[in-house]
Amino acid sequence: MSAVTLQCVSKSFTRRDGVQLEVLRNIDLDVPERSIVALLGASGCGKSTILNIIAGLMEPDHGALLLNGTPSDAFGDWRSMTYMFQEDRLLPWRTAAQNVAFGLEASSLPRAERRSRVADTLELVGLSQFADVFPHELSGGMRSRVALARSLAPRPSILLMDEPFSKLDPNIRSQMHAEVLRIAALRDVTIIFVTHDVEEAVVLANKVVVLHPRPGRVRLTRPMELPYPRDPVSPEVTEQVRSLRLSL
Amino acid sequence: MTDLASDAADQPTRSAARHDRDQWLRVVFLRCLLVVALLAIWQVGSAFTAAFILPSPARVWRTWSNLVATPGFWNDFGVTFGRILTGFALAAVVGTVLGLVIGASRLLGEVFEPVLTVINTISSAIWAIFALIWFGLSNFTTVFVVFMTAMPLILTNVWQGTRTVNVEFVELAQTFRMSRRQVLTKIYLPTILPLFFAGARLAFGFGARVSLVAESLGATSGIGYRLRQAADLVQTDQVFAWTLTLIVLMIVLESAILKPLERRLFIWKERVGD
Repeated sequence: MSAVTLQCVSKSFTRRDGVQLEVLRNIDLDVPERSIVALLGASGCGKSTILNIIAGLMEPDHGALLLNGTPSDAFGDWRSMTYMFQEDRLLPWRTAAQNVAFGLEASSLPRAERRSRVADTLELVGLSQFADVFPHELSGGMRSRVALARSLAPRPSILLMDEPFSKLDPNIRSQMHAEVLRIAALRDVTIIFVTHDVEEAVVLANKVVVLHPRPGRVRLTRPMELPYPRDPVSPEVTEQVRSLRLSL
Repeated sequence: MTDLASDAADQPTRSAARHDRDQWLRVVFLRCLLVVALLAIWQVGSAFTAAFILPSPARVWRTWSNLVATPGFWNDFGVTFGRILTGFALAAVVGTVLGLVIGASRLLGEVFEPVLTVINTISSAIWAIFALIWFGLSNFTTVFVVFMTAMPLILTNVWQGTRTVNVEFVELAQTFRMSRRQVLTKIYLPTILPLFFAGARLAFGFGARVSLVAESLGATSGIGYRLRQAADLVQTDQVFAWTLTLIVLMIVLESAILKPLERRLFIWKERVGD
């Protein structure tokens, strides 16, 4: 079954000077359950808008959004979907553990259950020892892990990520890639992520959707069947990167 | 060789710590010296003037010890403190709510900006006179003056605080499907708290000072009333004793309540220079 389906979705914004700006045109997207889908494209191709539409933060002008086969307006389980941003957006007045708990506070979990989930999730991202540390005392990679833990604590079935690791150093970034792959397999999460980095798309995704800008539309959809873990410098990966780059 | 190197690297930090402690000791010593010098000037001054103009430190101390022992002392003290607290608490509630409301709407903000400026320019003495006309010699006169002085300060700070709320955090809360109320308590309030605290501190200080003006004009009890009474009867030592009481009160409040509370609330802030 498909976790997320977009059918012929279009979206326009009215700019402040009154000009209509077409952001998305006839987007068709199919995200199978437990897959990792990359939305790849240059800036201005409406990648984040697609993510916001899937998250239900924005309504499409035309077209339909199906979640687990249900039309979005009949879908009730929005809390099974979490969103990870480009910036870590950790609340500075909360410790790492309290930041992770933030993801659970909208639901009515009992206190003890909440606490044990926070501990589990911190353990999962390898930050148990840093539970009581404030964000400003953490390194960039650790902050990113806390943000990931916050997104995972509600046990989502779908995780949306908007260029989540683009601000990290290259080696910490590949550590986070390995982390995401490990957790996705462990927790059966469907992941949809947006990136402008071809290599990131090839290393992580089992399906890459290339978007073209102004207005944003799907240029091509390519399955990635290379076995995990994928070494970014291996010839298979570099070949895929090269051919995708040509289509950008 | 490596030992030597690490020793050399250690040396500056160790001597820096010692330097800091020396510096601190010197400041404490100089402060004590300042107090002694002021007391000495006071003592010398009082020797050449009449007691009703400048009573000697010893005399003020005697008066104060006697004053504290009288049952009326704690009564007046409690009355004044209660009025300040009531006015301040009302100001905190109203100022916070109004600050949030005005902060939530750009239009309201622009409409109310001049009103705030006008209120801030009105002297507390004018509020005291109005309060006397409206409420007569009652508790409410002092409470009103404290309120009118403290409320705009708190309102302004909370209002400024709403402008520093990070849209990204609000968006984050929305992706977790938080309600409006949750966004308010989990994002808005923690963001505003430091500014609220700064405003409240200022407002409490101002409120405490103007309460005495209000009491000396329109009350029949409280520290302000006693101060005026003492002044009318030319009991200068009493005036000094009450002043001493107020200074002690403010120092205790600052070091026993406000400082520790602030340190506890804002432990998450990055220290400057880190």
